[in-house]
Amino acid sequence: MIRQQYLQQLWELLSPVPEPIKRDWMYDYEEHFRIATESGRSEEEVAAELGDPRQIAKELLLGYRVEQAADKNGSITHVSRAVLAAVSLGFFNLIFVLGPYIALLAILVAFYTVSFALCVVALGAIYESIWGTDLTYLQGSSLAAVLMGLGILAGIGTHRLARGVARMTLNYLKFNSKMITRGNKK
Amino acid sequence: MNVQFKKGVLELCVLTLTAWEDRYGYELAVSISQKFEVAVGSVYPLLNRLTMEGYFSTYLRESPEGPPRKYYKLTPLGHSHLIALTVEWRTFAQAVDEIIKEGVER
Repeated sequence: MIRQQYLQQLWELLSPVPEPIKRDWMYDYEEHFRIATESGRSEEEVAAELGDPRQIAKELLLGYRVEQAADKNGSITHVSRAVLAAVSLGFFNLIFVLGPYIALLAILVAFYTVSFALCVVALGAIYESIWGTDLTYLQGSSLAAVLMGLGILAGIGTHRLARGVARMTLNYLKFNSKMITRGNKK
Repeated sequence: MNVQFKKGVLELCVLTLTAWEDRYGYELAVSISQKFEVAVGSVYPLLNRLTMEGYFSTYLRESPEGPPRKYYKLTPLGHSHLIALTVEWRTFAQAVDEIIKEGVER
């Protein structure tokens, strides 16, 4: 049975998606097979016009990942999953999506590191003013206050930047998933 | 016609077809693929995406010929999206038309 095979394969390919959503999606393809074969068309023909299940699964997964990432308010894990789903669709060039995305992540990590380092240095200044000889207590504590302030500001700024990057990435993916091509019918 | 191009207007077509009455997926897939050559299979992922984005709601309705069918209903959000897309399309089509006219009838 071509119909059974087709639907079974699609079901398995959609394994990352929770079952209720999967059932809802599958209903369309089951219905399509049912109505089309009832109107006298062969299962081969119907499977061919629907196209490769792998392709359909990828398109569905991309839509799901992007929506999920948007629902989670752009959490980095979810955005990264959406980016990978987009790349797996093959229409996105690895260089044009994954490359810049990883570069942006690296920049964010660098900023977070800077903010963390500033806080560490601030603690160092306090330590130095108490046990060391180079700084008086007043110098040490004011230096620490300034550094800690800078560190916290940098942290907040980076956090906002990360949100912005997530939002931008999602919008880009949404925009692109609207114009994904399929080669099985020209 | 260019596949990329068709894909872009597919969304507008699907929304337009459901503007006045709820339709089931097969109906949408077939009526669009009859008008212009587009892979039938690409209509369903689009319908699901539009549903996830809140432009459609779905429900099952009994059918005289066998099991219930899954109907797509345009939500108020979908309606305003349809209007926005239509305006966008009109402007775009008009601009392209003008450029063609100028180019050909020079």
